[in-house]
Amino acid sequence: MIKPIRQLYRYRALISVLIQRELKAKYRGTALGLLWSLINPLVLTAIYLLVFSVYMRVGMENYPAFLLSGILPWTWFSMGLSESAHSIISNGGLIKKVYLPSEIFPFVSIGSNMVHYLFSLPILIFLLFLMGLKLSWLLLFLPIVLGIQFVLSYGIALILASLAVQFRDLLHILPNLLMMGLFLTPIFYPMTMIPEKYRLLVQVNPMAHLMKLYQDIFFYHQMLSPWSLGILVGLSSISLWVGLSFFEARKDWFAEEV
Amino acid sequence: MSGAAIEFSGVSKKYRRHTQPRATTLKSFLLYDLWNRREIAPNVTWALRDIDLTIKKGITLGVVGRNGSGKSTLLKLVSRILKPDRGSLTIDGKVTALIELGAGFHPELTGRENIMINGIILGLTQDEIKTKMDEIIRFSEVGGYVDDPVRTYSSGMYMRLGFSVAIHVNPEILLIDEVLSVGDAAFTHKCIDKMNAFQKEGKTIILVTHDLGMVRSWCNEAIWMDGGCLRMKGDPENVVEAYTRAMCGA
Repeated sequence: MIKPIRQLYRYRALISVLIQRELKAKYRGTALGLLWSLINPLVLTAIYLLVFSVYMRVGMENYPAFLLSGILPWTWFSMGLSESAHSIISNGGLIKKVYLPSEIFPFVSIGSNMVHYLFSLPILIFLLFLMGLKLSWLLLFLPIVLGIQFVLSYGIALILASLAVQFRDLLHILPNLLMMGLFLTPIFYPMTMIPEKYRLLVQVNPMAHLMKLYQDIFFYHQMLSPWSLGILVGLSSISLWVGLSFFEARKDWFAEEV
Repeated sequence: MSGAAIEFSGVSKKYRRHTQPRATTLKSFLLYDLWNRREIAPNVTWALRDIDLTIKKGITLGVVGRNGSGKSTLLKLVSRILKPDRGSLTIDGKVTALIELGAGFHPELTGRENIMINGIILGLTQDEIKTKMDEIIRFSEVGGYVDDPVRTYSSGMYMRLGFSVAIHVNPEILLIDEVLSVGDAAFTHKCIDKMNAFQKEGKTIILVTHDLGMVRSWCNEAIWMDGGCLRMKGDPENVVEAYTRAMCGA
């Protein structure tokens, strides 16, 4: 467990150039460049707003702010996982030719999508100001919540990345799971809209607790539940431990299997 | 300049073959492996069998052998990309492989950006690359194109840039697998000069090639790989002669 973490630290310069490579290459050759990082979530949010706010009339005050505070971290989670699932396969050329600790590749996927999340934060903050909502001092908790999400997704990403090498079907299953997650996690609707008898279903979903933390920080301005924080810290540690052990047990085969 | 740079003792490496319905998809996993619960017959090929080999520091070793005789697997073990299935392998010194050039180049990024990324992949620090940047660009002969995306490069330029980065890593052990022919005659000549300089600096070099003349003129020692086994080791002249006789006689 300690060894792979030390490896990641040793290779931090490589991780940082690979993240830069992802960010630079993604929009290279486009006229708007990094602005796409802002435009993409904006367009998506506009569609969601039209559907949920106008057509379906979710009667919630300042609904756009609620929606955006959850959809942005979810996008990070979901993009991060789908890119990680491909990460070992798509870096196969490199893994077969140069000795590198391959756990850096899922790390880069989660990391570069976190940077995208951070780039999209100004939209949310701008929107909050537009609606006359203030930023709360709870923003100080954001780094902790980001850390939790990073560790939690990295653990899952390690499992997905190594499994996908052997079972390519996973690459087709994953988008469905992520789509399910998007609708079953209170992002489009608040927890309180769910009928009492189904609420347990949501409470066992760790992402529901995580998204609630973001909504507390940006929207509800409510002290984060220590209970949720505690559970998530525990879950993300388990996720990291399971992910690393799972990955370690398989990584020696990657150079032959990809 | 004394002692062994690389020591193989009883090293074997097997590859699993994918000719049989092995579980590579969930469907086949569920259908065959879980359902039948049968043992999948181990269908493996031994790429290397029981290799004992000591490579002394500072020598240039030529590796000859037919296709599929295990030459490249040997290099991949030394560069730690693959792990031996049996036996042990000790390596003393920083290894750089010129096995495949341009690994990790991103087509959308410029030559200069790719030099930075590739250099770090090969183990240089950012500062080292910055100081060597001009030299790397000059050696690669890509000239003014260095600030263009590498997807616009010709395949020769691409390879030369990759080669140039790898050659500036300054390893103690250098692995070369059939790559000296990437450029035109002038570039090849320049590479050989660079290799000669490495030899003089006392670096250990392992050269896999089908260019037997090169093995004769340039290596201090040679081995002949045959079907995953070490068939012969010794003076390059003798090894090349025995190998040539076997190839032509057969």
